[in-house]
Order: sequence, then structure tokens, then C-alpha cells
Amino acid sequence: MAGDTAPHAPTRTLEPAPLAGAPAPGAGGGNGDAPAATSGRARATRSADVVQTRASLIALAVLVVVFAAISPQFRTAGNLQQIIDAAAVLAVLATGITFVLMLGAIDLSLPGVIGACAMTVSLLVANSRNTQDLGLLGIALTILLGAAFGLLSGVLSTRLRIPTFMTTLGMSAIGLGIATILFAGVRPVVLDESLGAWASHRIAGFTVMSLIAVAAVALGWAIQRWTRIGRYAAAIGGAEDIVLLSGVPVARYKTLAFGVAGAFYGLGAVMLTARLGSGVVEAGAGTDFAAITAAVIGGTLLSGGRGGVLQSMIGVLALTVLANGLILTGVSPYVQQAVQGVIVVLAVAVATWPVRRRLGVVK
Amino acid sequence: MAARMNRSRGTALIGSVVVALALSACGESSAEAEGEGSGSTGACAPEDVTLVGQVRNQTNPYEAAWLEGGDAFAESVGLEQQKLTYDGDSQQQQEQIRQVLASGDASCTVINALPNGDSDTTPIVNAADGADAWLVTQWNKPADLDPTAYDRWVAHLTYDGVESGYQIAKALFEEMGGSGGVIALQGILDTAAAQDRFLGLQKALEEYPDITLLDDQTADFDRATALEVTRTLLTQHGEEVGGIWAANDDMALGAVQALEAAGVDGVAVAGIDAVPEALEAIADGSMTATVSSDGPWQGAVGLAMGYCAATGELDVASIDAEDRAFFAEQFLITEDNVGEFSDPQLDMSEFDCDSLFSRATGPIAAS
Repeated sequence: MAGDTAPHAPTRTLEPAPLAGAPAPGAGGGNGDAPAATSGRARATRSADVVQTRASLIALAVLVVVFAAISPQFRTAGNLQQIIDAAAVLAVLATGITFVLMLGAIDLSLPGVIGACAMTVSLLVANSRNTQDLGLLGIALTILLGAAFGLLSGVLSTRLRIPTFMTTLGMSAIGLGIATILFAGVRPVVLDESLGAWASHRIAGFTVMSLIAVAAVALGWAIQRWTRIGRYAAAIGGAEDIVLLSGVPVARYKTLAFGVAGAFYGLGAVMLTARLGSGVVEAGAGTDFAAITAAVIGGTLLSGGRGGVLQSMIGVLALTVLANGLILTGVSPYVQQAVQGVIVVLAVAVATWPVRRRLGVVK
Repeated sequence: MAARMNRSRGTALIGSVVVALALSACGESSAEAEGEGSGSTGACAPEDVTLVGQVRNQTNPYEAAWLEGGDAFAESVGLEQQKLTYDGDSQQQQEQIRQVLASGDASCTVINALPNGDSDTTPIVNAADGADAWLVTQWNKPADLDPTAYDRWVAHLTYDGVESGYQIAKALFEEMGGSGGVIALQGILDTAAAQDRFLGLQKALEEYPDITLLDDQTADFDRATALEVTRTLLTQHGEEVGGIWAANDDMALGAVQALEAAGVDGVAVAGIDAVPEALEAIADGSMTATVSSDGPWQGAVGLAMGYCAATGELDVASIDAEDRAFFAEQFLITEDNVGEFSDPQLDMSEFDCDSLFSRATGPIAAS
């Protein structure tokens, strides 16, 4: 049994630690050929992961090389900064959604959660609508609100056994409703200078927001790598029944994974609000699919169990480079959307090519 | 906010006096027409009229202002506006219309609707016509659907997008001193609004030979998209960019944000819609111009037209055919006149039954 679970072990990353850790269950698995066979399978899984990540990186590299060859503006330092800045929000959102996708669940709550959080933060910091001026505390409360949304999605899914597709879609509607009530017909303009500086102040050429995004992604990676929330998320996505049988409180860790994701959406909403300069209800429109696409290009499987925060970042960069490059290379806006769609499909195909046999039934 | 409410209540009060006088003046004539269920004049007692305002959603300042205008008018005639929002979902819009019409006798119901798209107007018109309800539609209508063929579809009004695009382009080019490079942020490309506004820009470009269009990109009428697109275009064209023409204010504001983030000064930006933030931006100099369709007026005038028709003060058949489907006046807002628009006040006299069409600038040209 332990041998069987090895390929589903919650350690699907590229880091050396899982390499050392994975054979352990196999080694404890019994006698004869079993340990060798099991560790061989574990190694195959790992190498598939590595190969797939390479494929995702190749897709990204191809995009970069092609655009750099066609457009001189693309290969400037200024444009690199621009790409990093542009990727910041999506990076934070994709970090969050990766936890949900690793579970094998889906999260469509982003537009609503982001809308509600964007209105909340813009009304809690110094703004044109009311006299609040909570500053950092307002930002922290907003991130907590995002986490609360996530926890609620998780509780509804695990306790009421509603598919996450439905709960998160409902959560999105609830969030948009709350956002619309908070909006009350007048957009709150953010007057808090430190929040405004996230988008305009630069340190070493990068906006404060980009640096916050890097820190957030690092934090997300650490949570995925070193906490039970992250490790169980991958394990649950790989084989929920087996994880349940081994005594892990699956419902609790699923809920927590949703909570972590929600907190990242909350931060993403704060960043979007800083960038847009005011609380916008529809700030999160379309982000759910952008984040999911980024994660999938990076090699996160929608069936769960595979992928990770760093892999998702490859997808984030690929999507950002694509949007940036199509403009800089002068592709007509009338065909841009179609071209973008084709390239995204190709990128996903390239990214999943090495493991396509292992995907089994695709629905 | 509170101050604004009080003021609008004040004007509403004056308006209601005006309407009350108007009503008492023609009270006898409507009494004669009583009992009529269809036809082009109504015979509803003012208090029996149901006013319905329907827009996509209340999450943007423009449509929120539209509904506020409708509220102000309703209050001025002692009624309440039933507010419907359908979230940009055509199915939901039709369903709401059906529900409104299904609740009993609809011959005193007035609907001021913003159809989701051109093709959504036909079923709305048919449903309203079938239920003898009074209907005013705005913005979207198929070119071949003509209100004059209906008794109770009072009017359709919209705005000439070519003119809006042209006006802000001219204001932008003047601000740039008549020469330099501009970038254009287009709306959702397959919408008539985006196409017409862009035509207006091209018309203005012909008149200003020293202005070059460096690039045109779509930003889907969306602020966040516009911000990203603008930043990328700034990377590409750098110092050459002297002006940014945006097909709506949200994109213009995104562009302003992008200029700020990139630390670029001295680029003129113009948009369309006159959302409150854009007005503030014009007042503080970060934007050059916008065009207002006057959302509160739109919300009020549609109800007023239906109300006047339902109460028999306006004979729909006698309305000039050119006014049944018309372009309404729009207003260019620049630094010079932004003060007048930053605190919009409805002039209730515009909703007297004999001045409802005062803002018509001409019939909608068949395209």
C-alpha cells in the first residue's frame, strides 16, 4: 500500500528535498524487488515533472526568442521592467489559485472576491468617499476578508459536499453583490499615498508592487513546500481517498487551502486597486481564467496533484510576455485575440506533451 | 453625497410642482380617452403609472447615475422607479421584461430600457407592444427596426459615436498644439460604439495633417487592460507619444494611471462618457477632454416620455417621425467647463411633456 502511494506523494516539486524523501515510503514497503520497483516509479514521476517543467520553460523561451527577434523594443531593459510590473498581479493570483488547483478543485470566485476586496480596501484606506484612514491595517483586513471568502468556499464545498465549481461561482456572485453595495454609485478614489506608491514608486527600477509580488510568491512557495497545507494539498489532489484513509483530516486541509488562496486574492485586489487608483467593482473580471490558464501552462493539472507555485509563474510570464509581445510586434488588434488564443492552446499542448500519456482520461 | 441628495430633492420638488401644473391643465382631455386599452395615447391616472428603469448593472458610475436620474424624475411625479439590472445578460434582461409585463395590466407600465445589444431590442419591443406597455429604448437597436411602426414604442435615442470620437480628438489635438503622435485605445472592436468612435478619430486625423496615429490597440473598454496596453505602447513609442485618445473614460483613466506609473509628463489624454473620476482628472489637468451623454438625463427622459404618453399628455402618433429614433445632444467637457458638469443637476423643466425632444440633434442615420 505504502508503495502504491509513493507516486502520489505530496512532493511534486523540483527541489532536492523530495528527491531524498520520496524513496522512503518505497524503502519501507517490504521485501524483494518491491523497493527497487517503487523507487523506480517515484523516479519516473519526478523525471516526468522535470520534463514537463522543461517543456513549459521551452514554451516561454520560444515566445521570448521570437518576440525579441521581431521587435527591438521587446528586448529593452525598460520592457523587461514593464513585463515584470505587468505580471505582478497575475503572479499573486496564480499563486493563490495553484493551491486550489493542486487539490483537483477549481476556483471561479476570483472576480467576486477581488471586486469585494478592491472596494473594501479602497474604502478602508484614505479615500474620496469616507473619512477612514486605516492604512496598512486596512490592507491587512482586506487580505483577511479574502481569506474569509476562501474559507467559506472551502467549508461549503467540503461540509455541504457541493462541487467547488458551483460554490466558487456562487461565491463570485456574492462577492460582486457585496462590491456593488459598497460601490453605491460612486467610485472611491484612493488617496492613501503609500498605497498609491505601490504602483508608482520604484526601487531598483521595479515598482514596489512587483517586489511585493515577488515576496508573496516566495511566501506562497514556502507554504506549498514547508507547511502541511501545501503538502497535503498536492497529496489530496493526487489521491484523496488514500490520504483520507491514512488519517489526514482532508476536509480541514482543503478548506485551509481555499483560505490561503483567498488571502492571495485579497492581496491581488489590493495591488489592483493601487494600480487602478480607485476601487473598481469589475477589477477582477476575467482574472479567474487568466490565473487558471497561467497555472495550466506552467504544468499544473486541472485534475490535481501536480504542479506548484513556481511552475505557475512560468505560465504567468508566458501570458504576460504574449500580451506584451503581440502589441510590440505590431499584430493588428483585430486578430490579436485569436492569435493569443491559438498560442495559449499551443503552449498548453507543449507544456503537457511529455506527460500526455500519463493524463489518462481527459474530460 | 448627502448634500447632493438634498439638492436633487430640491430640484425634484420644483419639478413636481411644474408637472402638477401641467397635469391640471390637461386633466379634462385625458378623461375623455378613458377606457382605451391600446392606441397611441394613454389614459392612465398619474398615480397608476408604473415606472421601470432597466440597465445592465449598477457597478459603473454611468449606469448608476442613469438610475438616479430615473429616481429623480419618478419622485418629481410622486412615483417610484422600479430599478432592474440584468448584469449584461441578454436572457436575464428578457426574463425581467416578461416579469414586469406579466404582473397584471401593463397598459400603464413605462419601461426605459438599455437593451444589452442590438438584437435584444426586437424581443423587448415585441413583448412591450404585445402587453400595451409604453417603451423607450436607448443606445442599441437594429437599424431596420423602426419605432414609427409601433403605437407604444415612444422613441429610441442614442448618441452619434462618430461625433463623440471626433470631438474629443479635436480637443486632444488642440491641446497638443496641432502636431505630434497619438496612440488610440479602442473599445471592444465588434461593437458599434467602438467602431463609430474610431471613425470619428480618423475624421479628425484628416483635418490635422501634422498629427500621426502611432498605434491603435484595443483595451476592451476596460481600465486595467488599458493600463497594461498603454504601458506597453509607451515602451514602444516612448517620447513620440504626445496624446492618448481613448474610446471611453475608463480606458483614459487607465492610461493616466500608466503615464503616472511610467513617470511620463505632458501627454494629453481624452476619453468619452464623463464619469466622475474623469471629470476630476480634467479639473486637475491630468485629462484633457471627455464627452458627456448625460446619464441622469437619459434615465429621466425615457421615463418622462413614457409617462407623458401613458397619461395622455403626449400623443405618440403625433411625434415628429424624426424624433422617434434620434441622436441626442452630447457635451464636450474640457477644463473650461468642467465645473458645470462635476455636480450634475437635472433641470426638471426638460421633462415637461412638450420639451422632451429638445435634445434631439437629428434622426439616426440609416447605416
